[in-house]
Amino acid sequence: MTASPTPSHSGTLYQPGASFLHRLHPLTKLTFSLCALVVIFSGPGGWLSALLPGLLALSLLWRAGLGRLAARLSFRLLAWLAVIMFGIHGFFGPDNQTILFNLGPLEVGQEGIEFAFLITIRLAAMLLVSLTLVLTTHPSHLVQALTEFGLPGGLAYLLGSPLLLLPQMVVRAQAIHAVQQARGLETQGNLLQRMRALFPLVAPLVFSTLVDVEERSLALEVRGFSAPTRKTFLNELVDTRSQRLARRGLIALSIVTFLLGVGWRLYASS
Amino acid sequence: MSLKEQLKKDFSTITLALMAVGIVLNLVLGQTVSLLKLPIFLDSIGTVIVALLAGPWAGGLTGLLSNLIWGMISDPVAAAFAPVAMIIGIVAGLCAKYGLFKAWWQAVISGVLITLALSLVAIPIRVYMFGGVTGSGADFVTAYLLATGQSLFSSVITTVIGNNLVDKIVTALLAWGIVKGLPKRFTSRFSRADKVTG
Repeated sequence: MTASPTPSHSGTLYQPGASFLHRLHPLTKLTFSLCALVVIFSGPGGWLSALLPGLLALSLLWRAGLGRLAARLSFRLLAWLAVIMFGIHGFFGPDNQTILFNLGPLEVGQEGIEFAFLITIRLAAMLLVSLTLVLTTHPSHLVQALTEFGLPGGLAYLLGSPLLLLPQMVVRAQAIHAVQQARGLETQGNLLQRMRALFPLVAPLVFSTLVDVEERSLALEVRGFSAPTRKTFLNELVDTRSQRLARRGLIALSIVTFLLGVGWRLYASS
Repeated sequence: MSLKEQLKKDFSTITLALMAVGIVLNLVLGQTVSLLKLPIFLDSIGTVIVALLAGPWAGGLTGLLSNLIWGMISDPVAAAFAPVAMIIGIVAGLCAKYGLFKAWWQAVISGVLITLALSLVAIPIRVYMFGGVTGSGADFVTAYLLATGQSLFSSVITTVIGNNLVDKIVTALLAWGIVKGLPKRFTSRFSRADKVTG
């Protein structure tokens, strides 16, 4: 039996679907992401080590039918950052020696551009790699997989319950905002006025949710939350022998790449 | 008290429920505050409240998990700053433990200490992972400082501290005011709260 998609996925990056990426065990995708991050930041060859995992992640997402979305998300999160990055390091990079060309009174340095290129490739790769996990895995399935792996129940609760609470709290925050405005709270105007609006907006939300805490903990206790017995799961996650092997392989591969990267850096600096 | 007993006491069921709420407060209040267009982000007030009520470990974990969850549901970049959020909780909890959250001016001092501590973690992440760039207005300051011949590291130190100082002082003050305003009946459930209210 496959894990059934949980109804609430609003407000998260998760895209419901049935592609091969969706069907992979959450731990396999998590291992891939974490190992790829190690390679991106420590592998030999600088930008090449970042480019390859990034391209791999993009092609996986593409085959799962999410390539366009992933590209759009990455562009939205990174385009502006990249523009500033090239600007700052191209013009003012602290290591700039070689002048590529002049732009008015400013000089564009090769070292700065190379540095900006490396950082941008790394960030894009990092983002794409994490999207292979985030876009195709419902957060609650990831939490369940981690619990089955041995994550303590308390931590699983802390990872899972905020996702359920979030939509409720957003509604409550909006209600408080509307109520305070109806009572004449000034949320526009000069800095001092807006600063004064801070406490009336923040405090009711915080107080009302903190008061709920006791009730929540009672509800948990009543359902045997801290009972030492082994809990069972409503849905089953599918794991296969080949995926377990693949996870070990990925970990081994990332360790080898890490060591190669260390060697490469020692060699390059000597 | 042994470490195991202390941990058990620090992570009782009610503390876990508090931490879950603290995480959500972090995520929601950031959005509320952005409505006011203030030069602060207030995305760690839940962390600080938990740290005041339930100690440095609970606070640190609340911060860490807030950013990991934020990374999972909306912006993977936020996960990169999870260690920073953790330091905020740990230092706020330590400040409270040593009696530095009893009066409003002490909360201000705690806010400064939190900023200094988080900078130690945030600056290397900014420099090595993001090349010193944030994508916000603070980048103009970085660019200016670089243009005047400062190193990338010292330019980022200036922008990180400048960016966080006001935010963390306001956060500490608000958290202090909120914990003071909570009913005794509620705060008495948390072993650490009397350090702030008492």
